[in-house]
Amino acid sequence: MTDRRSFLQRAGAAAGALGLGALPRPGYAAVPDERATRARSVDRAPESLSILVIGGTGFTGPEQVEHALARGHRVTVINRNRTRPDFFKGNAQVEQLVGDLNADMSALRGRTFDAVLDIPTTAPYWVRNVAQYMKGHTKHYTFISTISVYADNRTAGADESAPTLPMPADLDPFTPDPAARGRYYGQLKAFCEGFVKETYPESLIIRPGLIVGPLDRSDRFTYWPVRIDKGGEVMAPGDPTDPVQFIDSRDLAEWTIRMIEAKATGTYNATGPDKPLTIAEMLYGIKAVTTAGAQFTWVPADFLAEHEVRGWRHMPVWVPQTPDTAGFSTRSTAKAVASGLTFRPLAVTAKETLDWAATRTPEQQKALEDGAVAGISMAREAEVLAAWHARKRSGSN
Amino acid sequence: MSQSRRTFLKWSATVAGAAGLGSLPDQALHANPLPVSKPRDVGRAPAPLNILILGGTGFTGPEQVEYALARGHRVTLFNRNSTRPDFFKGRVAEELVGDLSSDTSALAGKQFDVVIDNPTTFPAWVRNAAKHLAGNTKHYMFISTTSVYSDQSIIGLNEQSPTHPMPADLDPYTLDPANSRRYYGALKVRAEQEVEKHYPGINTVIRPCLIVGPLDRTDRFTYWPARIDEGGEVLAPDTPDDPCQFIDSRDLAEWMIRMAEAREFGLYNAIGPAKPMTIAEMLYGVKAITTAGAQFTWVPWEFLQTQGVRPWRHMTVWQPPYGRTAGYQRRSSTKSIAKGLTFRPLAVTAKDTLDWHRTRPQKDQDATLNGEINGLAMSREAEVLAAWKASRTEGTGDD
Repeated sequence: MTDRRSFLQRAGAAAGALGLGALPRPGYAAVPDERATRARSVDRAPESLSILVIGGTGFTGPEQVEHALARGHRVTVINRNRTRPDFFKGNAQVEQLVGDLNADMSALRGRTFDAVLDIPTTAPYWVRNVAQYMKGHTKHYTFISTISVYADNRTAGADESAPTLPMPADLDPFTPDPAARGRYYGQLKAFCEGFVKETYPESLIIRPGLIVGPLDRSDRFTYWPVRIDKGGEVMAPGDPTDPVQFIDSRDLAEWTIRMIEAKATGTYNATGPDKPLTIAEMLYGIKAVTTAGAQFTWVPADFLAEHEVRGWRHMPVWVPQTPDTAGFSTRSTAKAVASGLTFRPLAVTAKETLDWAATRTPEQQKALEDGAVAGISMAREAEVLAAWHARKRSGSN
Repeated sequence: MSQSRRTFLKWSATVAGAAGLGSLPDQALHANPLPVSKPRDVGRAPAPLNILILGGTGFTGPEQVEYALARGHRVTLFNRNSTRPDFFKGRVAEELVGDLSSDTSALAGKQFDVVIDNPTTFPAWVRNAAKHLAGNTKHYMFISTTSVYSDQSIIGLNEQSPTHPMPADLDPYTLDPANSRRYYGALKVRAEQEVEKHYPGINTVIRPCLIVGPLDRTDRFTYWPARIDEGGEVLAPDTPDDPCQFIDSRDLAEWMIRMAEAREFGLYNAIGPAKPMTIAEMLYGVKAITTAGAQFTWVPWEFLQTQGVRPWRHMTVWQPPYGRTAGYQRRSSTKSIAKGLTFRPLAVTAKDTLDWHRTRPQKDQDATLNGEINGLAMSREAEVLAAWKASRTEGTGDD
């Protein structure tokens, strides 16, 4: 935990500077902790807000807390103190409340805030649980939703007005069923959005796409920097011009705090970058921060499917281009960009993710190498590449 | 200008000593005076050498000086003090003034462990320096060029590949300098031979390919970071899979100093990166350090030719990977890599180059985007892209 926290704080300090300029050095994890106390070099907000952060110790949450503090806000976190216990302990600027969205949130009783930032909520009863105490007790409520709320991915360039998933008629949104949270993730998030908008007159709904960067435990972007840094022949999915979208957690976090400061309301897609990016640009951009000299072999989507190599799960970030996925990686982010969402250079995201990945536990690093969470093991990659080369040879006969 | 370049260089050198991208220059810092006294964190050489650097104030030379100083060596410079006057004033042991083409008397009576010869194009320059240095140095390093090779169609071209002969009717010692461009490769070959003649068995001849990075005034790589950072539709040459090669001046400089320390003699290509890189990997890697969201349009070489867009001159770094330039971007650097040549990540080269470019006078930055030295003017680029699209929509039936 200390490692993560000090990493985060150092990375936060670095991220405050422009561009690649102040990336953490490889090996920073061994740097003594006194550097961890350095504040982010960002300007203070004109007005200091009291912000309640629900969750705050996961992936984007810590970035939001750090950035809010750097901007001079007063932060209260409420969580189970379990994901990363005592993550903010000793940080006098952060008030820690203990509560459980599934059960007792009474620590919020009688409290008022300028803004609430709700990060972890999947289940409508969690929003309702918080609302018992926060309805009428906050001037502003930000709900981190997801780009998965949309009913389909068929329309390239779709914006926030695209239809969202309806709740299945036979599912009670307020019945706490953990299994349904996975299966009906988009539906439940969409329902939560509606609940938030009805409950809080000043509400901000943010729908991020794939969130990437340091602290991400899903390996859904991290796979690529780690794999490419190993060099050798790297299997690249589909066509080099296939589109990709993702957002660096720091870009998301910093923009969210700025939106809270601006008291912005409404619904926003939050993914990146602002101009189209291809899978080749992403992979080659990641290669640019390495020296291993990875060599890419592009394997068509059909062949990958034949060999049960799935987009997103085994070839992260990418999905095969079909009529059903035409809009998956081409969501419009124009509204957010017009409201000040900015994007780090890809090289920064890639380098910092790679550096962070090297600080993870041996078990986590092995899981990534095995493709246990996302990505594909190098052994399986080599098999599929061999099959592809064999196919090409026989095809040319 | 030389002051700001020098300041940049010294600061950049400081950070280059750190590993990887970890401490790339920060754009914001360029507005402020940069710390100049911090030494590179590169470790000291086991034994300090007494090094003479001929030139030393151009492009790769300053990187050699900085790295040599950081490694604890004693550095003497010999140059006209005219390219960047007093560039290293007070920072090196000795600054000798002279001219390789005429007066090398300042070298009389001096002795060195190593001489590094950067600027020499003409065999006579080697001879002029040798008047005083032959027998007075234990090691002579000569920067030659991959332009010495006469057949650039050879794929995997190495140090044994054939070089340009000097035309029989030309005296290399009295050749009109105006011909230096035309006979650049042949003159460098003759200069290499002159080096072996005066320093037999104790010389290192290094043949770099395209040298890139901060301080490069040729725009031959700088064009790409500068152009891509402008965003919009970028004309990219031919096919994304075409190969490309180049070497960061810091990688070259640092390796040369290490070769001097190790007393390594012989003939070496100095070419990067270690593993094949495609032009798309280079351009997309450059894009990765920017946020302008450049969009690339790949236009076939056949069409570029009809538009008078030339490889190298307009589409910098790139050469057609077939015909007489088939091997231009596929030369071998195996020998130098085996002797410790290493390569920075492309993102570092691109970012440092772009940051340096932003410190150049506005007219130089404008010249880059106007393609005045190398590269393609943005106005011309737009015309070519429009013509390419028009040719596509007209439909030749074979698209």
